[in-house]
Amino acid sequence: MTLRTPEEFIQSLADLHLQIYLFGEKIDDYVNHPIIRPSINCIAMTYELAAQPEYESLMLATSHLSGKRVNRFTHIHQSTDDLSKKVKMQRLLGQKTGSCFQRCVGMDAINALYSVTYETDQAKGTDYHARFKKYVQYLQDHDLVADGAMTDPKGDRSLPPHQQPDPDMYLHIVEKRDDGIVVRGAKAHQTGACNSHEIIVMPTVAMREGDEDYAVSFSCPANAEGVYYIYGRQSCDTRKLEDNALDVGNANFGGQEALMVFDDVFVPWDRVYMCGEIEFSGALVERFAGFHRQSYGGCKVGVGDVLIGAAATAADMNGAAKASHIKDKLIEMTHLNETLFSCGLACSYEGVRMPAGNFQIDMLLANVCKQNVTRFPYEIARLAEDIAGGLMVTMPSAQDLADEKIGPIVEKFLVGQCDTPVIDRLRILRLVENLTLGTAAVGYRTESMHGAGSPQAQRIMIARQSNINHKKELAKALAGVGKPWQNKAKVPTAVQAD
Amino acid sequence: MKVVYCGGCNPHIDRSAVAAGLPLDDQDVRAGATVHLSGCPRACASDHRLTGEQDAAPGAAAEAAPRPGRDQVKVVVAGELVDGVPTPEAQLATTITRKLKE
Repeated sequence: MTLRTPEEFIQSLADLHLQIYLFGEKIDDYVNHPIIRPSINCIAMTYELAAQPEYESLMLATSHLSGKRVNRFTHIHQSTDDLSKKVKMQRLLGQKTGSCFQRCVGMDAINALYSVTYETDQAKGTDYHARFKKYVQYLQDHDLVADGAMTDPKGDRSLPPHQQPDPDMYLHIVEKRDDGIVVRGAKAHQTGACNSHEIIVMPTVAMREGDEDYAVSFSCPANAEGVYYIYGRQSCDTRKLEDNALDVGNANFGGQEALMVFDDVFVPWDRVYMCGEIEFSGALVERFAGFHRQSYGGCKVGVGDVLIGAAATAADMNGAAKASHIKDKLIEMTHLNETLFSCGLACSYEGVRMPAGNFQIDMLLANVCKQNVTRFPYEIARLAEDIAGGLMVTMPSAQDLADEKIGPIVEKFLVGQCDTPVIDRLRILRLVENLTLGTAAVGYRTESMHGAGSPQAQRIMIARQSNINHKKELAKALAGVGKPWQNKAKVPTAVQAD
Repeated sequence: MKVVYCGGCNPHIDRSAVAAGLPLDDQDVRAGATVHLSGCPRACASDHRLTGEQDAAPGAAAEAAPRPGRDQVKVVVAGELVDGVPTPEAQLATTITRKLKE
């Protein structure tokens, strides 16, 4: 098999018969469920764009393993050009979906594991890298979606994994057999988990002595026995169950998060990539996080493009587009959005070729990128709400608009700029609502805060790499710190009196 | 032996001090050997590469990558990394020297 079509992807997802629970019920026909389907459409877009020649240079790459053209989401970056194209691809997909399109976590997981398995083998004489390369080629050859599963529930944050009262707070090995391992635990906040063919598990923190059973990385099919999913709620999600598209804001696309449970899941050895090597767990966490922090310099920017466009359109429809403060706010939103993009590109252009042969982003700049992402989308959203006006959260429902008696009244009083149909004005305001405080706000706001690590995680990485001693030396040299002081008072120039 | 420096905009190490500790006139160092000396992990002196290894053609095994000749010894330093391996600054010169003589 080579590249799949969107239809083939959706059918392949249905064929997995995943164990998904939502609102206390097991959902069998999940690909057609109105709350879940928009998130599936997002990933389908990664297949659709890959088939279009005008997007090929971003969406496709040449595999270094097979020499074949593959979807970039399954590619191991081979150059700084690959790294920057990744960011541009993510911006494109954010623009096309106005949502988190979920396929990045698997891409970031394979790129992190590629170098860590190599370095583990070099140090420990293991054979993880060869088996991992075989797995990556399997993903590429079948054009599969992989979920990169890192975040454990973590329980009491003051305790290390092996001292938790409930050992399942971090996913761990419960049995080692001749043919593989058995694992138990859970991964939380899993973006796109229910839309994936495969799961790639990684530890969530740098493990210490005593945590060996928790230093585990492996892959398994998303429908492996013992794996099930509890679907996460989103603000305003039940609007998708209503019989109209208007109040949803973005009816066709959306994000997805789930709690993924591993109830004694068997993993054969050829799918295990870390098993007790605690000294490499920190590198794996940092590299996955680094790649994912780069990702946000693309995906959130694409969604930001949509929000800026929606705010500008709302201003047009309100008849306020010529107001100088509106123009200035749109400039500020653009400035913030392009700053995020600049960071995503900068950490890509400054990337390096690792000893394993793949290219990795510059860690300092990737963390700076994500630190900005924890702030700027909030300001962009605030300005969008400012421009849109209060109507975006007070306007009547689609049912009222459709009502024979009430509808004409709604239309009469919600008219804006004269040439704009009221329905279109309401559509664009609902989109702003969706992005700033509806279902998509999960991805655009809170995910910007906590996804790929909460703000403090980036500050720790920034502190570690800030090269502060060099900065001190620069300042001391210019100020003359440490040089002998010659106490010569500077004589002021005499001023001639008139 | 030749030393190729990065531009020096963000040095985590004292590049001049490291270079001063290298065996410039040592007979055991092969002629044509090169040390790519970058001040930080961005590895600008070696075109953003942490090792001197070449790429294999797409689809080919890594072992098929072009190998440098015996007179093309190349050591890559990027901050406190030598050929991608963490190395404290105080040990950089001796580590590079050992590699140049291997």
